[in-house]
Amino acid sequence: MTNSSRRARWRRRLGSGALLLGQALVWGMAAPAVADEPWSERTQALGQIADMPSGTLSQDDLKRLTATGEALFSAHFTALDGVGRPQATQAIDPTRRKHPREQVFFRTAGPDAGSCAACHNQPAIGGAGDFVANVFASEGFESADFDSLDPQFSSERGTNHLFGAGLVELLAREMSLELQSVRSRALSEARATGSAVRLPLEAKGVDFGFISAEPDGSVNLDELDGVDTDLVIRPFSQKGVMTSLRQFTVNALNQHHGMQADERFGARWTGSDDFDGDGKSREISAADISAMVAWQATLTAPVQVIPVANGWSEAADRGETNFADFGCTVCHRPALPLESLSFADPGPFDLAGTLNDRQVASKSIYDIALLDWASNLPRDEEGRVLVPLYGDLKRHAMTDNQIDALGNELLSQRFVDRNIFQTAELWGVGSTQPYGHRNDFSTLDEIILAHGGNGRKARDAYAAASDAEKSALIAFLKTLVIVP
Amino acid sequence: MTTLRSLLAFGAVWLAALGHCASAQTVFSADIPILHEEAAAAGIDQSYTGGWEFFVGGGAASFDCNGDRLPDLVIAGGAGQAAFFVNESQTGGALAFKPLDTGLKPEDLTGVLGAYPLDIDNDRHMDLVLLRLGRNLVLKGGPDCQFEKANRSFSIDGGRAWSTGMSAIWEKGNRFPTIAIGNYVDRSAPGTPFGTCEPNQLLRPRAGDAPDYSDPMAPEPGYCALSLLFTDWNRAGQPDLRITNDRQYYRGGEEQLWQMSQGRAPRLYTASQGWQRLSVWGMGIAETDFDADGLPEYALTSMGDTKLQKLDEEAGEDRPTYRDIAFEKGATAHRPYAGGDPKPSTGWHSAFADFNNDTMTDLFIAKGNVQAMPDFASYDPDNLLLGGFDDTFHEKGAEAGIALNTRGRGAVVEDFNMDGMLDLLVVNREHPASLFRNLGAATDWGHRPLGNWVKIELDNGKINPAAVGSLISVRTGTRTQTRRIQIGGGHASGRTGFVHVGLGVSERATIRVQWPDGEWSHPYRVFANQHVRIIRGEANARYWYPAAQ
Repeated sequence: MTNSSRRARWRRRLGSGALLLGQALVWGMAAPAVADEPWSERTQALGQIADMPSGTLSQDDLKRLTATGEALFSAHFTALDGVGRPQATQAIDPTRRKHPREQVFFRTAGPDAGSCAACHNQPAIGGAGDFVANVFASEGFESADFDSLDPQFSSERGTNHLFGAGLVELLAREMSLELQSVRSRALSEARATGSAVRLPLEAKGVDFGFISAEPDGSVNLDELDGVDTDLVIRPFSQKGVMTSLRQFTVNALNQHHGMQADERFGARWTGSDDFDGDGKSREISAADISAMVAWQATLTAPVQVIPVANGWSEAADRGETNFADFGCTVCHRPALPLESLSFADPGPFDLAGTLNDRQVASKSIYDIALLDWASNLPRDEEGRVLVPLYGDLKRHAMTDNQIDALGNELLSQRFVDRNIFQTAELWGVGSTQPYGHRNDFSTLDEIILAHGGNGRKARDAYAAASDAEKSALIAFLKTLVIVP
Repeated sequence: MTTLRSLLAFGAVWLAALGHCASAQTVFSADIPILHEEAAAAGIDQSYTGGWEFFVGGGAASFDCNGDRLPDLVIAGGAGQAAFFVNESQTGGALAFKPLDTGLKPEDLTGVLGAYPLDIDNDRHMDLVLLRLGRNLVLKGGPDCQFEKANRSFSIDGGRAWSTGMSAIWEKGNRFPTIAIGNYVDRSAPGTPFGTCEPNQLLRPRAGDAPDYSDPMAPEPGYCALSLLFTDWNRAGQPDLRITNDRQYYRGGEEQLWQMSQGRAPRLYTASQGWQRLSVWGMGIAETDFDADGLPEYALTSMGDTKLQKLDEEAGEDRPTYRDIAFEKGATAHRPYAGGDPKPSTGWHSAFADFNNDTMTDLFIAKGNVQAMPDFASYDPDNLLLGGFDDTFHEKGAEAGIALNTRGRGAVVEDFNMDGMLDLLVVNREHPASLFRNLGAATDWGHRPLGNWVKIELDNGKINPAAVGSLISVRTGTRTQTRRIQIGGGHASGRTGFVHVGLGVSERATIRVQWPDGEWSHPYRVFANQHVRIIRGEANARYWYPAAQ
């Protein structure tokens, strides 16, 4: 091709571009609205799934859906998509700002990221985040305009990884059902006998206190331990206050990107298709959310990989024994049994504002068993999958009078006191340093020693152990990794 | 050129007009609840009948009479007998009621215009006041829906009047409630019915361990009351008595607000205190507080325009001067919205509630011609005015399914099947009562649930256990909603039991209670979609669950 022909071709391209630009201006749109061009600054994956999936998806359908979900998770949302929320706060309940904001992004009150993957990237997309990717948890109602890192306004939190999140949500659903069935049993017995009935609340072997039922159908909730009063296990976030991947996705899209999901911020609940006032209506459809949920729910579970290094295997074995002997497994349960790998979306425990299975004609089922990585999951003699999460999906007090480093927040969150956190699932801990809810512990040794409250006994056992035994424990924990 | 200019000018005017129309018409985008009429299938076949004396009245009471916390019913029959029904509805399922034989004599149950539940003797069994043409009947409630006449044991003189309304409140320091009975036309007075309104009755308890109302008062003048409501209109902590009166029969009368002072006879607020004369065919009072500022707004039903009164800030908070915001809120409901009859409506029962659980306050109005008044609409469907996010009301009665050709009177807005979505009973004149089950919002695949909700029951302790007069404050995000526990208002109809609050998309709420003595509780943290019991003095709220079916 000669230079002149190149120039002619460039002019032709310019010409057609100018024509499109002209048309766009005539239609009252900005030039970049040529949305379907491959170089468009709009996120192509948005709206790619026209309808919410339903029924049990085949492997191929699931692959297509998760591909879109991954594209959305990694997309850098732009003004053309509706990034930013000039007239709305980061609050989970749709809340108008008192004053419009000039900047699109704002480090503390958000939006604070262009994409999900901007923070969830360690060791790969969907992973955790370094300290630099910390976020600021705030209810977003009263201090919508806060511009300070002062912890009186927000709680700084590290970014959790999402690997194995589908299994975590399935475990939480089964545990919620189990707890609620105990409540039903207590009520039935109390009504039948005419006397108060007090039953232990236990799910998958994890103890959640007691529930007392009265013959009149009332339940006394004073003795619950580590679970919300509606007996729904909310397994996501450092606090354990988010019910589902779907709810978390809807929340995070608004908080971090100002991308508002129709199922909560749409006209049904707010009277406006553009609640955040950025000129873009219906920014995220229910089908978009479904795709993102599907991708997250099918992310591979972390595994144990023992590095090929002299003595690591032996140390890890010893460390695993120590992990139990020290009492770490009281909360960091090595595995919880899971009955079914069928992940239904929308799920059963979300309430209005996040789609649930009563709000749609037909839910979709993602059969995790179809995924290659799922075949490697251990099973017990009853055929149940043993999910090796090293957690209990329960909240615990993490401070006491002597050890209080994990009580450094000033705000409770969604009814959970400031020193109470859900047991961190340790699968993947070897791939996700630094540690702690604020990501400010650079070593595993430091975070173990920071355990107070319910973790104090195990922490003290660790602290009293010899350096060699401590080292073995670290060796073990470092084998729990994410292999994307 | 001139033609072109004219065309352009015309076009500009047309576009401007179009723009104006577009901006004036706001779209209602929230859920419209589908209210499915199923009275017959539910086992309720009760009509309100009778001659002129029963043109007004036609009420119902909803309360739990057998301890299962499901709302049971009594429905007035006018010249026929009032009927009792025990609620046997399955949770979230079809409504089902079983007629209850109370053992009361037929003559006690005839001539009933309305009914209000009230635990007069604090024994945690709801008692019942039946408003009658003639002697009002007080029924003392017992276990398993047993009732016995208690006029004598409570020393309540049922009188001989034509009683049409009631309200009750525990005045400060009193063990038992003060009861106000609204009376209508004195049929025995010379010149009746015009200008012959019967005085109302105020029953204050005498000191002692048992209810004793042997010293009734008759605050005058009476202006043919049709609805009464004790209300803390100026957040003073001292409820006054508001009465809506029927101008059809009074001469020189008006709406009334009686100042209630401990141990003193009530006194009417006067023009010098800011009370402005208003004369309507007052049929029913409903109270809400749109902005939760503690200064309630009132809907007054009438013939023609419904009034929606808001305390006029310019007049000063302590002066009961009200301005009408019905027009600006789209709540006048002055003509039928369906059926094509252009004549004015006739409004009766009114109630604020959140029918679609979107957190916005809705307004129900029972409508129906008095009998065959030619100047008023004959096909006059009940209103379901849904509160929009634009802070105005939107009439959705037709879409909801309540635009029936019946003459509505009293009503009860209640969650009969305990699914968190408000159902509706409407008592109709000379027609079986309508019972609507809230199915949720219609979709192309069926019905989907509405927004989140919470229902709250208070326990105030030994005196006034149902906490009548309490204020419940429910906070979600930046929004606060309040509900006042009241006995009174509406049209001859009362309710008690769980108080319903729509929560929209909120997953949890913080509740505070201002108990009847004015003390505020600590905050109670509760999750959405729960029946919540708050027992005074307990640290945590309890949840309640219907019996498994």
